[in-house]
Amino acid sequence: MPSGWSWVVHILYFLLSICCLRGAGALVQSCGYITPESPVLAIGSSFTAWCILNESCLDYGNIYASQIIWKTKRSVVPKEQYREINRTVSSVTFNDTSTLATPLTCNILADGHLEQNIYGIDVRLGLPPEKPENLSCIVHQTSRSRFSMNCTWNPGRATFLDTEFWLRTRWPQETFNDCKAAVVNNSCLIPDVQFFVNLEVWVEAKNDLGMMESEHLLFDPVDMVKPLPPQNLSVTSGILPTVLKLSWENRIIPAEMELKFNILYKISDSPDWMEVPPEDTASTRTSFTVQGLKPYTEYVFSLRCMKRDGLGYWSDRSEEKSGVTIEDRPSKGPPLWRKIDTSHSPASWTVHLMWKELDHYEANGIILHYEVTIKARSPLSRPLEKHSVNTTNLTLELPKGTYDVTVTAHNSVGSSPASVLLIPASNSKASVKNVRAAPHAGRLWVHWIAPNSHVAKYVIEWYEMSNNSSYVTEWQQEPGSSQSTFLKGDIKPFKCYQITVYPLYADGQGNGQSTKAYLKQDYPVKGPTIQTKKVGKTEAILTWKHLSVDDQNGFIKNYIIFYKTISGNETAAKVDPSKTEYTLSSLSSDTLYTVRMAAYTEVGGKSGPVFTFTTQKFGKGEIEAIVVPVCLAFLMSVLLGVLFFFNKRDLIKKYIWPNVPDPSKSNIAQWSPQAPAKHNFSSKDQMYPEGSFTDVSVVEIEADDKKSFSEQDLKPFDLLKKEKSTSEGHSSGIGGSSCMSSPRQSVSDSDEGESTQNTSSTVQYSTVVLNGYRDQIPSVQVFSRSESTQPLLDSEERSEDNLGDATSPRHQYFKQNCSQDETNPGESHFERAKQNTPPINEEDLVGLPPMQISGQSSQSYGFEPQKNMQEAALAGALFPSTEGQTVIPETLGINAATVEEMPKSYLPQTVRQGGYMPQ
Amino acid sequence: MASAERPPVILRSLDLRSRAIRLARKIRSDVVSLLDSYVERQGLDKNISLDGVDSMPTAAVEHWSELTEAERLGNNLKAYRIFQTLLAEVLEDQRTHLTPIDTNFHESIQSVMLQVSALASQLEELLMLLEHSVPAREEVEGTADSTSHSMFEKKLRGLKVLQELAQWSVRSVKDLHHVTKHSHSSSTVHVSHQ
Repeated sequence: MPSGWSWVVHILYFLLSICCLRGAGALVQSCGYITPESPVLAIGSSFTAWCILNESCLDYGNIYASQIIWKTKRSVVPKEQYREINRTVSSVTFNDTSTLATPLTCNILADGHLEQNIYGIDVRLGLPPEKPENLSCIVHQTSRSRFSMNCTWNPGRATFLDTEFWLRTRWPQETFNDCKAAVVNNSCLIPDVQFFVNLEVWVEAKNDLGMMESEHLLFDPVDMVKPLPPQNLSVTSGILPTVLKLSWENRIIPAEMELKFNILYKISDSPDWMEVPPEDTASTRTSFTVQGLKPYTEYVFSLRCMKRDGLGYWSDRSEEKSGVTIEDRPSKGPPLWRKIDTSHSPASWTVHLMWKELDHYEANGIILHYEVTIKARSPLSRPLEKHSVNTTNLTLELPKGTYDVTVTAHNSVGSSPASVLLIPASNSKASVKNVRAAPHAGRLWVHWIAPNSHVAKYVIEWYEMSNNSSYVTEWQQEPGSSQSTFLKGDIKPFKCYQITVYPLYADGQGNGQSTKAYLKQDYPVKGPTIQTKKVGKTEAILTWKHLSVDDQNGFIKNYIIFYKTISGNETAAKVDPSKTEYTLSSLSSDTLYTVRMAAYTEVGGKSGPVFTFTTQKFGKGEIEAIVVPVCLAFLMSVLLGVLFFFNKRDLIKKYIWPNVPDPSKSNIAQWSPQAPAKHNFSSKDQMYPEGSFTDVSVVEIEADDKKSFSEQDLKPFDLLKKEKSTSEGHSSGIGGSSCMSSPRQSVSDSDEGESTQNTSSTVQYSTVVLNGYRDQIPSVQVFSRSESTQPLLDSEERSEDNLGDATSPRHQYFKQNCSQDETNPGESHFERAKQNTPPINEEDLVGLPPMQISGQSSQSYGFEPQKNMQEAALAGALFPSTEGQTVIPETLGINAATVEEMPKSYLPQTVRQGGYMPQ
Repeated sequence: MASAERPPVILRSLDLRSRAIRLARKIRSDVVSLLDSYVERQGLDKNISLDGVDSMPTAAVEHWSELTEAERLGNNLKAYRIFQTLLAEVLEDQRTHLTPIDTNFHESIQSVMLQVSALASQLEELLMLLEHSVPAREEVEGTADSTSHSMFEKKLRGLKVLQELAQWSVRSVKDLHHVTKHSHSSSTVHVSHQ
């Protein structure tokens, strides 16, 4: 419902408004107007408008000029600008129209403050046109006899209004149609102009605020012509190799204008244009012969034209046409050089002559072949050699010597001057000095200091250094006056070049001087691979190899070694590039270090792989400092122990090392009461004091047959004693023979006195006397075993009763020792011995000692006990203590005096044989 | 005052003569090429007899060398004024009857027409500059009834106009050269007398 009511109110309001508007419309239409109507105003000017009310409305609506309100767009104009002329006219004045907005309306405030619009005008603001400046015209030739004129000018500032520009032309007696600048406001095209009549040209600019005219130009259009370029240009070669003839067609008739030309030409592959002198082409023509050209060279031509008197404009350039001059003979000989291989033979050379192809401008045509002559100088006498080749090299085998080589190039016209190269026997002339090479302006520049003497020319050789052995040597020739040059060739960046400069003289040649250079350097490809040579506690010697040439990419300025611990900061050490070894010092011991090495060129560096090493825990000598004192202490303690051992040896010996009497010192004669005169018992007593006999180990040997200890068996002891008295100190029977000779034999064949000595041979202790015979005592005595029977006797004498008891274990013991040799033919031997008992003296004095000396004692030594054991087993009772190794305990007392002399030879025997068990 | 003005007048007359000569040459050149294209377009023979065609201002004159400067320039001016009218008729004939769509051809005729007009202006200026009387303009005879000519006659008439114009252009060059020589010598004498 409320919405329905609102609609009704709106409709009523609308109807009322229409009624009012109708009334108001009648007022507006008839109640006033503004003058001027739709004015066009110059920006910034002053402007006054008047609103004039109709008289008829004054009474109808009580409307007067004082009620007028001026508005611009929606803004009320301040009252100060109003002026009430009379009761029907109100004016408003704007001193500066630049801020005047459109539309300008005249309104009236009726009763009830209802504002009604009386009238409105649209105000256009702008500027009058400026005087067009810089009027200029170009007459373009459009076809053979048709010309159009295009004139341009500067229209001046923007006017913000529609402004027309008219190009006006007239002859003195004739005015042509005006040309209206349509598309742009600063140019106009007149399609047809006539020459030879002065044409007056000017521009008019016009808009609502005014009209301006440019300066009037008066000119003959023929003086403003830009002609069409000549066409159908052709180039023909002449008779001479240095000229070419051009022909063309002009597209402007002489009746219209005379022409001059501008002929441009260049070598086809050159960017630089040259110009025929203008004075040579300052007249109308359709052909021209260009001179001073290079033979056999392609030239490109183009030309343009303009009015001969220079008025007007140059035409565009004609199409380009090219032509080739005819051939001429080569202007110079090819640069010549050689490479000499002397390795082939000492007396001859392999000479590789090389020359370069002539440049195009030197060859003056197609080189058909080269002629080479080789002339030997004295002392060589060889005929002049001539070769004609198509290639640029020639290899010759020549004897060593001095040669003059010439090369001439030939084309279809003729031959070049000869290039001469002197090949001397040796490079004996002065060399250049101080050869340097450096990059300059993208090329490699070589400089050297010339020798004092006059140099004919220089040859610069170079090649790219590489690990790859195959390299190509390039070369170039420079005149003798030069001291620097650029290398002419494909010089690559980051490659090392070896450059050598040779001076060539008229009569010889100097040695080459070399240098190395890079055109451009870069980082090395990789860094050096570093490793340790030696690692100490606080230092490490690092070693590396130089980078190969291919990896360097530049001159290595220095190396930098970076090293650090795992947690520490990295330390850098700069190293001279010539070094391959460096010692890091002040390192921490027993620490893991990582080290890497970077090689630097002038551009930058590159690191090699990281290497790790660990420093040692102990320094050099520290271990020795610890070990040596320990060892010394140990030795000292050992020494002290030994000293103690020696000091207390008696006590120790008592328990460990019982005193064993030396059977060799024993003597039956000494022992026997029958020969007291021969033996000094008193001395023996001193030697073996009774105290030494207090501790005696007794080994009991059990005898198998107690009967063997019969009186008869003991008889031979008398003889033995007798013999011993005559050969005291002699050891005639060592173990071997003792073992060989059975004691039983001796006993059984005891008829003769000598057989008694045989019994003594059964004793295992003997003294070997090298030249012991007939009381001659050798200087060195070797104790092997004693054959003395004295202890046995002694023991027998002392404890005869115990002997029988001891025979049984003794037998058992011997059997153990000799059982390993049971296959020994002891039995037969025994039987033979029974039958034929050899004289014991022969064996003791003659046969056995040599055996022992000759080194066969070991054989006989091992053999003895076995036999003795067997014998002991058979007739142990006869000689119950035949085996020395078993240490007859009874002899200890006697041998005590000799213990100090030979305990060592004595003790091991017993131990080794196992027959003696110290107690 | 007069002596001060004369040199510029002489220079101006020299310049005018020079331009008039070059313009006459240009007219000659253009008319020759126009004749070729005219004959081709109209299907005529260059050597066709034009005896029956109306009289034109003829370039041939007896005692040519005896003419005065004013006569020479005056004759030229009168002839070119007539050719202006005749060429306008020819152009109109081509536009309306003979070659209505060949605008390039029309432009060529108009170009010659303009040049004839320019030459007439130059001659007029030269006459005034040389202080000779300028002949009064007079109606060209025969132009009024040109519409009565047949198409072929129009063609022949056009050809005749161009041929006569070509001859007049040659005579004009000769006349102007003669005038130049004469005025040069007389002005030299005149200057030397001063």
